[in-house]
Amino acid sequence: MIGEGEPRRWAQPELWAKALPSVALQSLFFLAPLIMTVLLTFQETRSFMLQWAWSLKVWTEIFSKPHYWTVLWHTLWMSALCVALCILIALPVAYALATRLQSLSGHVKVLITFAFLTDMTLKTFGWVLFLDQKGAANFLLEKIGFPPAMIGFLYTDWATLLGMVYNLLAFTIFTIYLSIANIDRSLILAAYDAGAGKWRAFWEVTLPLCRPGIWTGAVLVFLLSVGVFLEPKVLGGGKSPMSAELIRQTFETRVNWPLGAALTIVLMVVAVFVILLFSRVYSLRRYGAAA
Amino acid sequence: MSRAGQERLINAILYGSVAAVLIFFYIPIFTLIAFSFQEGRYLILPFQGLSLHWYGELFRNSSAATALWNSTLIAFVAMIFSTILGTAAAIVAVRYRFRGKLAFLGLSGAPLAFPQLLMGIVLLLWFSVLGRWLGFNNGLVTAIIGHVVYITPFAMIIVAVQVFNFDASLEDAARDCGARPWEVYRYVTIPLLWPGIFSAAIFSFLLSWGNFYLTYSLAGATRTLPTFVFSGIATGSSPLYPAMATVVFIPGIVLVMVADALRRRAARRLA
Repeated sequence: MIGEGEPRRWAQPELWAKALPSVALQSLFFLAPLIMTVLLTFQETRSFMLQWAWSLKVWTEIFSKPHYWTVLWHTLWMSALCVALCILIALPVAYALATRLQSLSGHVKVLITFAFLTDMTLKTFGWVLFLDQKGAANFLLEKIGFPPAMIGFLYTDWATLLGMVYNLLAFTIFTIYLSIANIDRSLILAAYDAGAGKWRAFWEVTLPLCRPGIWTGAVLVFLLSVGVFLEPKVLGGGKSPMSAELIRQTFETRVNWPLGAALTIVLMVVAVFVILLFSRVYSLRRYGAAA
Repeated sequence: MSRAGQERLINAILYGSVAAVLIFFYIPIFTLIAFSFQEGRYLILPFQGLSLHWYGELFRNSSAATALWNSTLIAFVAMIFSTILGTAAAIVAVRYRFRGKLAFLGLSGAPLAFPQLLMGIVLLLWFSVLGRWLGFNNGLVTAIIGHVVYITPFAMIIVAVQVFNFDASLEDAARDCGARPWEVYRYVTIPLLWPGIFSAAIFSFLLSWGNFYLTYSLAGATRTLPTFVFSGIATGSSPLYPAMATVVFIPGIVLVMVADALRRRAARRLA
């Protein structure tokens, strides 16, 4: 088969030469910093200076102040909404890209890629100009004779959510597109032959087969969305902070590294826990359906 | 509903969703382009007049020029490192089977799904501790390292697709004809992987060029375009930014189109 090498072992120098650089990079600048962050949470801070003294002070503070947990809860809700919207919007788009549009598909992909890769701060600022009370949206609405609708939308959680979906949507479009493009057409044709309508074929053949793409996209968007702070600050007006903003403030304004490190770890652990929980429920349900 | 009616409805939904998403993606981009041609000091509609005034201001603004230079420098260096590391990792990921491969994949792919701000903070802590020991400050180099850590997995995935479509027997043939290992790489492997490597390079450049979160945490006092813009819009909007955005869009769309043209040519050659 194409692309299948014979089994190799670590002993081979060729393999070492190619694997070592990225292993070294990620161990030194991803894994090691992560471990150090965990260790930092057990230190203390006195008059803005880090003290290497082992204690549980930071953890007792986190578990005794409900404020951190309300912010975290708010963040998880926003991220869950963002994931749901990204999937719902990406599904028909990815399906159309994979099955319709023929020659246009390439151009649409270029346009989406460009929009995805363009400077995030500038795009987010573009939304401010569009949604502002004296911005483009209201101007255009008035031009065609509608009353201005964008009053009080900017600087709310909804505006934050819009920005999050905007900046992360491309991830779900790409992952779902890839899984639909890899579906064997003959399976769908077989469903038609068996008398299934378009909806039914989509529901019973296409959708289950593109589950891996949906799942990958959802996990990716969820993990990335729990860490946003640009959108809440620029579009949400900084009024209802999300976890990332709280963490940034802890580092920058309060200069409390152990606390900031602990909040970072809590956010990551909770996010991974949510994903594990969902994948567990998901596989249980599938198992139940099969039985 | 009749079969044909159903078909028409489905097509309407599918084409409609693509059109809607494209409009959605381009709303802020076109808004910025439109605002870049306005004359007045305040970014509100209706415009006071149309002019290229702010483009002139932009080119006279030295901190904007420095930010642009820093962004380009960081992106260029990060592109070279991430593309090389990503290519090597992609070859390992697709072509080799070995014990500990899952751990290798997990480690090389993990930064992809790690929130950038948190990665930035974790690295910032690391560099601060290291910096205190070894006596360095955060700046260009730390920002580049952060970008390479984040972007290498992207490059790996893009090249891996190319490696996957690559016929390994071509390498064996070269070896059978007596080529040395480096000759096989130089004349067979790299040329065949080139389209993938090139798109990975372009993708890496743009990801680094537009990166906000990592630069924000790791660049110290050095400003790049995204952090320059952020520091401006956090304090109040300046009429300079739309013009700046429009200037930044041009190389971006050109590079994405070049990458796509190369990908198509490679796909045609494979077919």
